[in-house]
Amino acid sequence: MSYCVNCGVELGKELKRCPLCGTLVINPNDVERNIELPFFPQRQQPVAPVSKRELALLLSVMFASVAICCGLLNLTLRPEIQWWLYAAGAAVMLWIWFVPPLLWREMSVLAKLALDIVAVALYVMLIALASGGLDWYVGLALPLMISFAVISLIICFLMRGGRRSTITSIVICLVGIGLMCIATELIIDCYFSTRWNPGWSLIVLAVCLGFSMPLIIVRCVPSLREETRRRFHL
Amino acid sequence: MPHRKVSWYKMDNASVMYSSLQTEEYSAIYRFSAVMTEKVQPEALQRAIDKVMPRFPGFRSRIRKGFFWYYFEPNKAPGPFLKEDVAEPCRPVRFNEDNNWLVRFYYYDRRISVEVFHAISDGAGTLSFMRCLLAQYLRETGVEVPNENGIQNIEEKSTAEEWEDAYSKYAVKRCKAQPLVKRAYQNIGTPEKFYTFNVTMGFMSVDKLKARAKSLGVSITDYLCGVLMYVLMKKQRSERPIKEKPIALSVPVNLRAYFPTKTMRNFILTVQPWIDPSLGDYSFEEVVSLVHHYMRIHCSPNEMRAAFSRNVRFQNNKFLKIVPRFLKNIIMTVSYKLKGTKPYSAIMTNPGIFKVPEEMQPYIEHMEVIQGQATVPRPHLASMSYGNIMEVTFSGTMKESELEREFFSFLVRDGIPVHIESNRQRPNGAEGGK
Repeated sequence: MSYCVNCGVELGKELKRCPLCGTLVINPNDVERNIELPFFPQRQQPVAPVSKRELALLLSVMFASVAICCGLLNLTLRPEIQWWLYAAGAAVMLWIWFVPPLLWREMSVLAKLALDIVAVALYVMLIALASGGLDWYVGLALPLMISFAVISLIICFLMRGGRRSTITSIVICLVGIGLMCIATELIIDCYFSTRWNPGWSLIVLAVCLGFSMPLIIVRCVPSLREETRRRFHL
Repeated sequence: MPHRKVSWYKMDNASVMYSSLQTEEYSAIYRFSAVMTEKVQPEALQRAIDKVMPRFPGFRSRIRKGFFWYYFEPNKAPGPFLKEDVAEPCRPVRFNEDNNWLVRFYYYDRRISVEVFHAISDGAGTLSFMRCLLAQYLRETGVEVPNENGIQNIEEKSTAEEWEDAYSKYAVKRCKAQPLVKRAYQNIGTPEKFYTFNVTMGFMSVDKLKARAKSLGVSITDYLCGVLMYVLMKKQRSERPIKEKPIALSVPVNLRAYFPTKTMRNFILTVQPWIDPSLGDYSFEEVVSLVHHYMRIHCSPNEMRAAFSRNVRFQNNKFLKIVPRFLKNIIMTVSYKLKGTKPYSAIMTNPGIFKVPEEMQPYIEHMEVIQGQATVPRPHLASMSYGNIMEVTFSGTMKESELEREFFSFLVRDGIPVHIESNRQRPNGAEGGK
């Protein structure tokens, strides 16, 4: 039998390292180890994650039945307007939001977010088509959604894993909000007046940067960071 | 109740909780193992299982989903069947898999293991079942074992008292919640990948433990709780938190010692010994003394009855009764997080001494106990003794092994030699260890 030189515990025969501290077991008197069977069984029997197929199927049937019921109702209730398309589109959007994450468990947060935004874009496109024209969709709604998607994905990417400090997270969010406002005003201006005339968005960006700069300084100076933690701890 | 022909029966309040909480991330399964002196004979063990199971109808049940509550139903499926042991013990139970069995049997070399879902029985009930199973197994291999010292006659039928809901039986109108620490040090580490379960066992001499505990004027359980709290306190301090949180343990107490019952269903309650390191430094002797006195003060029949009566009243609440089961599950999950996870730093359970008739003693080398996966990645501690061997198990889905290391190293420094076995292949997830 060997002992761990770090922990002082006696170790099992087959252990090549101390399971408590990882120290290598070197016993010159015990070079040849003939272990018939290890202490713990080695047979692996993976645990399959719980299948969410039934739930996915149930949700799919529910959304499909909502779309079909609305379609049938539309035949008798105000048939001059194709209002069932809005309900069916909403059902499709909700299906995209909830069902694929149930079926593909390994889907990352970024992929989920991208899929959700695509679903919203498709639904808004359906509304644009049903309301008679893609003009406002292509010129306004789609660029707004793309800019929102890009900035959201960048924020999610920067904050992935949830390991950013509170200060860094606040700075990322503030800068993201500022950039989103700039993009929104740019797109609105380009759609309505074909020329960018920055105004309110610059004020928002300036405020966001104004809040961010002291936070960045606090984040970078350890003594300030410690003082802030002390004063604002919860 | 199972002694007569019943088609279903209600859950007690502990069963309701364990059934509601059962998820992929939580396993209310625990395991008792007997390491025999000879290699296990699987055919004899399967015969023993087949003969013993009818005597314990509670273990032959399955969980069904009602609209308002889960409930038990006798399981008429074939089995349960003995299986070769697996590397990851205490895998989560799925109510619709494995023929709905809530009890599993494994063998490996000289080890016989029984895994039980906590909803059907607590440690004391399962040890009674295990004792009977081992006796029957030895009989099947040609050993004469009498029906004494807790070995029940498998020819007899189970009685109503053995499957009564003792919580409801002893619940009174006067009830009061236990004063709990609201938020203790959580000791949460890096989670292992799904489903990797780390088990580290320490074996030590009961005599040496007893002598050391006696020198401090406490019981072995108090001593082990004290060591765990002391190393948790040191661990928290080494992490340099802004404000140190209390160190609190959840220690299950067998209520049968206070309220006479023959029930083999759940009849336990947890008490919460705690210390507050923000008040200043505690020496080890002070921690042990605090644990000892806390346990003596709070393990009083009145206090415990008031606490479990509150749980029973909660279960009988007229409003809660009409809440659909899926909503109850959400309520229970949130409630368990607030009342069962946040107020504790770890669970420390000691089912006690495993006693068997003299005729069985030469055939059992030692006993082992493992607690299932917690709702958060932190290790739990379980211990039990047989003869002169005390076995202490740390089990959990936490990659880091600092707590185990500090605990067992402390025992060694305190004059108690420890032998370690573990299924951790690479401590801290690294090839080279630390």
